[in-house]
Amino acid sequence: MSRWTKRRVFFLPLLAVLATLATLATPRTVRAGEEDDLQRQIETQRAGVSDLERLDELHTAGDEVVLLKAWLDEAWALRAKHEYDQVREVLDRSLAQAELIRQKISVSKLRAQSDKREAALTETRRKTEAARKALADTTVKKKALEASSK
Amino acid sequence: MTRAKLGTVGALVTALALGCATPPRPRELDAYDALKKDPNLAAAGKRAPDLVTSSDKLGAKANDEWQSNDLEESRRDALMAQVKLKTALALAEQDRLKAKIEKLSADQAAAEEDLASVSKDLASETEKLTLLQKYLEARKNADADKQRLSAQMSSEQQKAEAEQQRLSSQLATEQKIAAAQLSLHTAETVDAAKYASAEYRAAADMIGKAQEELKSGAFAPAQASADVAKKNADHAAELAKPKYEQAEAANQNTARDAALSNDAAGIAGVSVRREKRGELQRLVLAVPDLFVKKQTTLGPGHDNVLDGLAQLVNKYPTYPVQIVGHTDNRGKSTELVAISAARAQAVYSALVARGVEARRLMPSGVGSDEPIEDNHSASGRAKNNRIEIVFLYH
Repeated sequence: MSRWTKRRVFFLPLLAVLATLATLATPRTVRAGEEDDLQRQIETQRAGVSDLERLDELHTAGDEVVLLKAWLDEAWALRAKHEYDQVREVLDRSLAQAELIRQKISVSKLRAQSDKREAALTETRRKTEAARKALADTTVKKKALEASSK
Repeated sequence: MTRAKLGTVGALVTALALGCATPPRPRELDAYDALKKDPNLAAAGKRAPDLVTSSDKLGAKANDEWQSNDLEESRRDALMAQVKLKTALALAEQDRLKAKIEKLSADQAAAEEDLASVSKDLASETEKLTLLQKYLEARKNADADKQRLSAQMSSEQQKAEAEQQRLSSQLATEQKIAAAQLSLHTAETVDAAKYASAEYRAAADMIGKAQEELKSGAFAPAQASADVAKKNADHAAELAKPKYEQAEAANQNTARDAALSNDAAGIAGVSVRREKRGELQRLVLAVPDLFVKKQTTLGPGHDNVLDGLAQLVNKYPTYPVQIVGHTDNRGKSTELVAISAARAQAVYSALVARGVEARRLMPSGVGSDEPIEDNHSASGRAKNNRIEIVFLYH
């Protein structure tokens, strides 16, 4: 993932939240072009979904991504129906969902790392046990040879 | 109240009851409640208290909304509550995993240290084992070499002993053959080839056979042949010896007799003749003119003859010697015998006086019984008056 993409993933939700807050703070009468703003937010989040999919190398957040896409589609549909409050609500939930996906991706990566280290540890311990057994066998063999050599 | 009215009232009551009853719980709310039973909830509350608090509020709100039959709002808030709680749980899970990774790293370091230690011990023990195996292998090889060398030495020793035995047998055989040859040579010294020819030839043949057997390495038969040869040679020598000695003695006697005869002939005034009487040979030295007429004492001037006779008798000490007196035939026979005997006695005394052993001399007188010439002539009678020195031998 490029540095620009990482930044975008990080800042876009923040921008979306700020935009939503600004929209809510603005009186309804002054919400001219609100539909376009929501559309941009939806599109921004959709772009973020692609980034999340790329981040999810281990495909552990597939269900959450699908859900996020469904919610963004829902927001898009609500926007078309001019249900702007509901759109914002869905966008808020989508932002939270995106954050959840990032954390789950992190969890999956940490888990993979943990599994890898656990496997390495298991392998090391297996080698240790094998070496310990070989040592015991060698000691027994050596003692037997020593006894036979007397 | 009619039956129709009662039915209508019942339907109304039922409809009212149904209208006042709580609506079905949204499945988002059920899912949220299930999420709340997550065992990591407490950890999530510690890690992200804001998120959990917010989630709790939203959950409570959704529950209220459901109670208020505001299902759509309840569903949305339940969803949001789920998202927040899941995020909090994910953060807690991250912390748990990080801690786990950290512990795994520490465990890995310890395990690697343990592995390194065990591997080091194993390497050391393996090296010791390898050295021990090499040592035992070397010792085994050394033992094998020792055994092989011992066997080889034993074989060489056996060969040497066999060679020694062979040489010993050969030497013994050669000694036996040499002994047989010595016996044969001994037999040859007594001319066994002549006097025991069969035994001698048998001995020589057996020696030849023994030598052939020796060459072919048949020592035992060679020794047996040599023994037989030695016996034959000894027997031949034994048989030949008396014959040889007899012949040798005869040869010696003949030579001595010849020498005696020659020496006797060298005495001046003595005539020598040989004669045989029975088995005895006689060398007769006739010495005339020792006595004058009928006298029985030696006159002067006969010392040379008497010295020569004494020397001759002493030179050949093995011969018995007769001193025989002879006369011519003039006079009585008994008187002549006495005269001849007295003359022989006189010569006997003269020879004894010259160192001749008395016991070798046998004086006697025969008178005129053995004339050598005709008594009718003076020269014949002079020759018949004589003393004869007779050497007797076979």
